Amino acid sequence: MSLMPNNAPCTPVSAQFTLSKCMDAVMVMGNAHMAMARTNKLAVIASHCQGSHFLYPSKSWSGEDGGGNDVSSSGDGKYELLSAANNLIVEEIRNIMSKIEVTGNSTDTLLAGSLAKALCYIHRLTKELEVGQEIKSRILVVKAAEDCALQYMNFMNVIFAAQKQNILIDACVLDSDSGLLQQACDITGGLYMKIPQKVALAQYLLWVFLPDSEQRSQLVLPPPAHVDYRAACFCHRNLIEIGYVCSVCLSIFCNFSPICTTCETAFKIQLPQIVKPKKKKLKQPM
Amino acid sequence: MKLRVQLQCKNLHEYLKELSPEILDRLYNHPATCLAVYRELPSLAKNYVMRMLFLDQPLPQAAVALWVKKDSQKDHDECVSVLAGLRLWHSQQLQGGLQGYILNPVFKDNLRTALLGGGRAWADEGSTLGPDRHARDIESLDRYAMERWEIILQFMVGSPSAVSQDLAQLLVQAGLMKSEAGEAPYITSAGFQFLLLDTASQLWYFTLQYLKTAQSRGMDLVEILSFLFQLSFSSLGRDYSVEGMSESLLTFLQHLREFGLVFQRKRKSRRYYPTRLAITLAAGVASSSSSSNLASSPGTGDAGFIVVETNYRIYAYTNSELQIALVALFSEMLYRFPNVVVAQLTRESVQQAIANGITAQQVLLHWTPVLPPTITDQIRLWELERDRLQFTEGVLYNQFLSQADFEVLRDRAQGLGCLVWQDVAHRVMVVTPQGHSEVKRFWKRQRSHTI
Repeated sequence: MSLMPNNAPCTPVSAQFTLSKCMDAVMVMGNAHMAMARTNKLAVIASHCQGSHFLYPSKSWSGEDGGGNDVSSSGDGKYELLSAANNLIVEEIRNIMSKIEVTGNSTDTLLAGSLAKALCYIHRLTKELEVGQEIKSRILVVKAAEDCALQYMNFMNVIFAAQKQNILIDACVLDSDSGLLQQACDITGGLYMKIPQKVALAQYLLWVFLPDSEQRSQLVLPPPAHVDYRAACFCHRNLIEIGYVCSVCLSIFCNFSPICTTCETAFKIQLPQIVKPKKKKLKQPM
Repeated sequence: MKLRVQLQCKNLHEYLKELSPEILDRLYNHPATCLAVYRELPSLAKNYVMRMLFLDQPLPQAAVALWVKKDSQKDHDECVSVLAGLRLWHSQQLQGGLQGYILNPVFKDNLRTALLGGGRAWADEGSTLGPDRHARDIESLDRYAMERWEIILQFMVGSPSAVSQDLAQLLVQAGLMKSEAGEAPYITSAGFQFLLLDTASQLWYFTLQYLKTAQSRGMDLVEILSFLFQLSFSSLGRDYSVEGMSESLLTFLQHLREFGLVFQRKRKSRRYYPTRLAITLAAGVASSSSSSNLASSPGTGDAGFIVVETNYRIYAYTNSELQIALVALFSEMLYRFPNVVVAQLTRESVQQAIANGITAQQVLLHWTPVLPPTITDQIRLWELERDRLQFTEGVLYNQFLSQADFEVLRDRAQGLGCLVWQDVAHRVMVVTPQGHSEVKRFWKRQRSHTI
């Protein structure tokens, strides 16, 4: 399972609910997932306005076997593997927070890129398995930032790639509804949920998003939301209901343009016929 | 017909259900045990436990029943019974008078500790001892573990190997070997079946047997089990310190050292390394194995492979004595070379193996997942052949002088319920030994009447 907390650095947060509380809830969820079975794997990716970053497993971590020497022990009753993971995540978040500078007032995050990274990671793990073994993967996006219409194309490509690989995309939205994520969940078969009370984030994560697809078929879960399926036009990224579609590459435009910008096919539109006035023959005076 | 003793390999839950409630509650006092028990639950039950883990008040039973869809009601009932059987949750009456469920508080606290932290450390991590000068890497640990485990298996098959008295006694008590007075122990049919299991199941079966005898040795069952689970969650390649372990735990550690579950450089070393066998111990608890590094055939230092031909010949490219002994169990050895062993599957050899208690299923699935269909069918046919004839003891009555005599006696035997078989045309019938005396008396009376 890949978790993706998606938080722009200047998102206004209420006094009770801070980034650290959100990360705590996410870590509890990650721990619960890894505790469920020995073969469960976890990856956590942070997505912010300047990029996306793997919190766990991080590059500095040498891996499961034999990497125990540089990992500090928990010193308390937590399962070793979980405490190692938690410590890593906390450290990496600190690194990120100290490194990125907040420039401007952007509230967008590079979500499509993070999703792509998650898909690549899952793909790599699937390739590394032995013959005959299978791994069922899903991606959970915890989102507090706004949707970004500029990423529409990339986003849709990522969603269709996930659908092809049978990877579920779940979404846990904290602030405002996101049409893109709703579409993602609907297409891949995941769950979309807007949390009414942010303080209870951990509970929602554990109750709704922890079960895997087999168990979800047995449990009663929140029903799917109504999805806004309007496409965004390629020229302005506005959501439109009626538009022009290029017959070659199926790109969508809100206005007619003689050349399709994606595939550069020229189109001729039939103009109304201009009737040339017939030259009247002048009658010769007799 | 000989009864086949089937090897019963209980899983963790069945074992725990047999323990008394006090022992269970003490067992749940350790986060490692709670985590191990949690992992063994059916997946729906895991979700239930996770949902209730952070609740401090009981939930109404009706509410819990609403968690599942209507089609999965059966799974829900199964989960309820599993959780109750393991004493993981109790029924408690709520304020409104309804019945509610609440998690066992000891279990809840310790599972929370395992997930979130807090509480005592499981074991001293060995950081006080400093880095080990004689540190072992993972390959040498694996080799050591496999060596030790193979020695035990070879001892069972009968090749001479150095095994301690304790261990030999344990094998006898487990029913895997039998020992006549004064002679060396030899393997039983249950032992044969044990050999054909995969390593993880073997380990688990062995551990269960050990635990049964633990109490008679004066060891504390709870302590040992907690330590075992703690081992199974440790990371491979790390050393742990023996600080703070009691006497009985230290003895247990020495036994584990002999089984190959733990590596300790010397008896008095203060640090030990868990091996891959210890870590897969918990994986052997469930029937699905996870670790791909342990081959499914009983441990071999060098990998060999087997070719089974459709003309019933087996070519085993291996040097391991154990593998060769196993092949010899159900086939006739033809030739033996330094790196190959050639054997032939014959009716007699397969039927003898089956007589020793190994089913055709085990024989087939043990070696290769893919066998020629001719071989699989033929082995099944040979197995069924043994069941073709059924022997019943009886007493034969024949040479009746007249049909009427025969019929009278036959009806009498049938009336008594001891007629096994009859042939009216030849005037022959068979009666059970128990009924024979009664029928004989009746016949004598009959004859004295007529004559």
